[in-house]
Amino acid sequence: MPSWQDFQPFIVTGLALGGVYALSGVGLVVLYRATGVVYLAFGAVGAMGALIAWSVTNAGGPGWSGWLACVLFAAGVTVGYGMLFGPALAKRDPLVKATATLGLLLVLFGTMDLLWTTSGGESRALSLPTDNSGFTVGQIQINWTQVIGLAAGVVITVLTALFLRHTRLGTAMRAMANDREITATLGVPVRRVEAAAWLGCGVLAGIAGLLLADMVALDATTLTFLVISSLAAALIARLRSIAFTFAAAIVIGLVQNMLVPISSLSNYSDMTPFVLAAAALLVLVRRRVMTSSREES
Amino acid sequence: MPAGTLARTAVVTVLLLFTLLALPQLISLYYVDTMTQVGIYAIVALGLGVLVGRVGLVSLGQIAVLAVGAWVAARLLFATAQPYPVVLLEAGLFTMVAGTLIGLPALRLRGLYLALITLMLAGAFSIVLATTNFPNGGHGFLGYNGSLVRIPPIRRPDIASGDPAYFRYTVIVAALMFLLVLAHIRSRPGRAWAAIRQSESAALAAGINTTLYKLWALALASFITGVAGGLYAGAVHYIYSIDFPAQDSIILLAVVLMGGAYSLWGAVVAALLLELLPALLNNWGVPADWLTILFGLGVLQVLTTAPAGLADQVPRDLARLGRLLLGLLRRPASAGSEAQ
Amino acid sequence: MQMYKHTSNVRGHLALVAVIGMAVLAGCASSPTSTGNTSSPAASSAASQSAAATATSQCGTKPGVTATGTPIALGGIVTNEAGTSFTDIANMAAAYFACVNANGGINGHPVKYYIETEQTNPAQIAAEAKQLVQTDHVVGIVGNTSIIECSIDSSYWQRLGYDIIDSGIAPECWSTPSSAAVNMGPRYSSDGAVQYALTQHVSKIAFDQSNVPGTGYIAAGPAALAAAARVPITQLTENVPITNADSVAIREVDAAGPNGAVVLNFTPPEALVILQAAQKLGLEDRVKIWGCSTPCNTDFLAAALGPKWDHKLFVNAELTPPDVTNTPTMSLYRAILAKYGKAVSGGIGSFSQMGFTEAEIAVHALDTITGPYTVASVNAAFRAVSNFNTGMLCQLWTYGTYAMHIPNNEDYTVTPDNGKMVTAQGCTQISSVDPQIAAYRKLAGVAALAP
Repeated sequence: MPSWQDFQPFIVTGLALGGVYALSGVGLVVLYRATGVVYLAFGAVGAMGALIAWSVTNAGGPGWSGWLACVLFAAGVTVGYGMLFGPALAKRDPLVKATATLGLLLVLFGTMDLLWTTSGGESRALSLPTDNSGFTVGQIQINWTQVIGLAAGVVITVLTALFLRHTRLGTAMRAMANDREITATLGVPVRRVEAAAWLGCGVLAGIAGLLLADMVALDATTLTFLVISSLAAALIARLRSIAFTFAAAIVIGLVQNMLVPISSLSNYSDMTPFVLAAAALLVLVRRRVMTSSREES
Repeated sequence: MPAGTLARTAVVTVLLLFTLLALPQLISLYYVDTMTQVGIYAIVALGLGVLVGRVGLVSLGQIAVLAVGAWVAARLLFATAQPYPVVLLEAGLFTMVAGTLIGLPALRLRGLYLALITLMLAGAFSIVLATTNFPNGGHGFLGYNGSLVRIPPIRRPDIASGDPAYFRYTVIVAALMFLLVLAHIRSRPGRAWAAIRQSESAALAAGINTTLYKLWALALASFITGVAGGLYAGAVHYIYSIDFPAQDSIILLAVVLMGGAYSLWGAVVAALLLELLPALLNNWGVPADWLTILFGLGVLQVLTTAPAGLADQVPRDLARLGRLLLGLLRRPASAGSEAQ
Repeated sequence: MQMYKHTSNVRGHLALVAVIGMAVLAGCASSPTSTGNTSSPAASSAASQSAAATATSQCGTKPGVTATGTPIALGGIVTNEAGTSFTDIANMAAAYFACVNANGGINGHPVKYYIETEQTNPAQIAAEAKQLVQTDHVVGIVGNTSIIECSIDSSYWQRLGYDIIDSGIAPECWSTPSSAAVNMGPRYSSDGAVQYALTQHVSKIAFDQSNVPGTGYIAAGPAALAAAARVPITQLTENVPITNADSVAIREVDAAGPNGAVVLNFTPPEALVILQAAQKLGLEDRVKIWGCSTPCNTDFLAAALGPKWDHKLFVNAELTPPDVTNTPTMSLYRAILAKYGKAVSGGIGSFSQMGFTEAEIAVHALDTITGPYTVASVNAAFRAVSNFNTGMLCQLWTYGTYAMHIPNNEDYTVTPDNGKMVTAQGCTQISSVDPQIAAYRKLAGVAALAP
């Protein structure tokens, strides 16, 4: 069994990754609450945005222009999808809405491999200026990108919670999550609120895409399916609570990384998000929490 | 027997006979191997179709189920000298039990959450599979020896060792699986499933044991997918964990939706989309990514406009086209204004 | 129903626009090029252009004469999927054949090279082998590079009498009678990297590889070497694609210890991700040395890693380093790459070198055939290749009629230096402590070094 000393660097990486999972998870939850759509293409959109950022900087553009391009792309595609397909599927089951986003995922996934071909000996990497500077705490070296990862997760969670609680738009989103029909009859501009939710989710997808491309890898397959880890956090929070999503994401990031130094479990560490989410879902089923609310029917 | 059913049975029989007897002669071995995969995945698509189309359960983990069936078959084929049909049966039964046991607690979840939990379980399974690997003639429970310098092939049935013969074998087994599903649909489970798909609460109110029939659908789908896994093992001779990535389950769902989850023909269309189309594109030098994009667009199209899929839509479109043509022929002078 | 159809048309049109848009974008597709990578030779001056022209005329026996006889059909199967692509190897072989065809061909016959790409799908790979034989009627197989093809097709090739020339990965590429590789593959290349680490007197080795088929087979080589040197070795595997490079780097460094060596066996993108993570965490100096098998041997990696890894990372090189060699063969290689190698996206590097070498051996063998070009005659010629100086390998290369083939079993070690890979150690034999190497040397002896 590794010592506490051995675990420490993994705690740092776990917190950083958990922060980014939290960022993505919050984006997923907010959109689900406002529109009933589980945006499974979240990762793919961020991945393509990151690849676009790479292309921009590779062609000579300054770093910030690449990031801007990434966020704009992610927001644009997300809002576009929401406005195009949202109305047609608005009255359908959340399952159908989620499956439709799989269609978007496949389209993006195929496009990415076509446009950014795999070349045998070379690979792409996205680096942020904060990668190579950092500080040391005890024996561990922490770089600023990891700090940003965790900080972004915290900041986004807090801001989103405040937004939902204290602004008109946020209140409208919470109302729509409860009952779309009644909210519409109360005079809330439902389409505009939805568009705002899609926009916010898209921006978060772009930011998460950049951070994950830097912290994990700039690889279309990896980034597209990393959304499943963030989804796991959102599922543990029953797709409802922002705070729980954050907590679940941090726990997933920590546990996943802290299993690595335990040699017998190391190869199974990647299972952490799946196992925790499945367990949480099954436990909640026993308490019959998942079967009665209208929004889940 | 009503005329429609008689006609349909005749068509199916003729097509089946053609596929069994004539097709292997007419196409190259490349396409024989491809069509064998079409046969195998038609069974898998049928299983998913039963779940999605008949009962309304979306599973994003059917490829994992296929992997289980392939694993069991490979293990038995290496470890025992049992005849191939027995191995197929055992693979199907084991997969059925595993699928039912795992599915049982999950069935209490409603639509979206059930789909997502199958995604989670499939993801977890693929990581376990990456560590346990597939049997390759080694010893021990897992039957995997990672140090082999020469891996022995998984055997095929004695009567079907060549590729065309194995293709025929696959088609026959597939036909049997389709008959099994058809028998279910035409009898009590089928009616119960239809009721559950209409409205689960109404079905409950009518006294139908919805959990039992949902489990039955899961068991049936798992059984036939397990058998398909057994066929897969013999088809490829060598199985690797990288052959069953979690994203293939998403693509499987896409083609099943496009082909038509409700109809049996839809499963065949789905398999053709999944296996034949990539093989054709490969020969024509077109990157397979275009297919991924096509499938994504197909999912969007199906869910927004044509919920019954291609198998339902194409005959309807053809019929509509036929009526259009007839209309044009009857009134040539005003064709321009009449036609849409 | 009307509105139903109308929306379907709208969506259909949108879908069509989207697809067309993507097709246009695909025309402007970009493949990865690092700004620091100077892969193509400068051919701007007239002098070097004519030098290149002279160099390419060395391909064939009749410079400048296009071959017009009945084509000789050859085939190759390479992996090309998201994240792993070996098309550069086949494309370079195709470039070599194109050069030969423009300069007299094989006794006046052009080579027609069929390339099949696969996505590690066993059914597809088996089908493509049959396509090459049955439909394309190839008489020889050259250039196969695939994660699993050797395992799947080796009995098929053996049964039909094809002796293939490949750049292997799966164990069967070296352990069967019908395959001889120009490279050493993951196991023997890892042996080379571990061997170098052992010469640096490290006290512990952490060997980490990607969890793709054959990890046990690959691990057995380094395990034997470490055991013979009485150095403890920790065997690790990582699921690829790697999603937590930071953790991987920390785990490796912990396993190796301060006076240890971390030896990697990954594809270039994964190795790069791990090494960059190690650098971000400041771990590169926490072990004595870092090692890597051949996939790391690219200038792209050297440039992408930066100066912190100069003379810190030692990479096993299965092929002669191109940057520091100026033989006629190397000039020919560069010239073919420049003139016919547009489809070789990686430029100068081990992938294109492998493709070149395989085609070179095939052409050398085909040139010896006097009668008709049949499966029997062509493969007999392949088997008869003996002590051939490829100009790309340490040793002379032999096919021979053995039960197994490891003709490339001597290697260089290179290290990054200022954005390029330079030689750290010249040709060194892979140790016979590895039982497979010992078995091969018992059959074939030790080949002489290339002059």
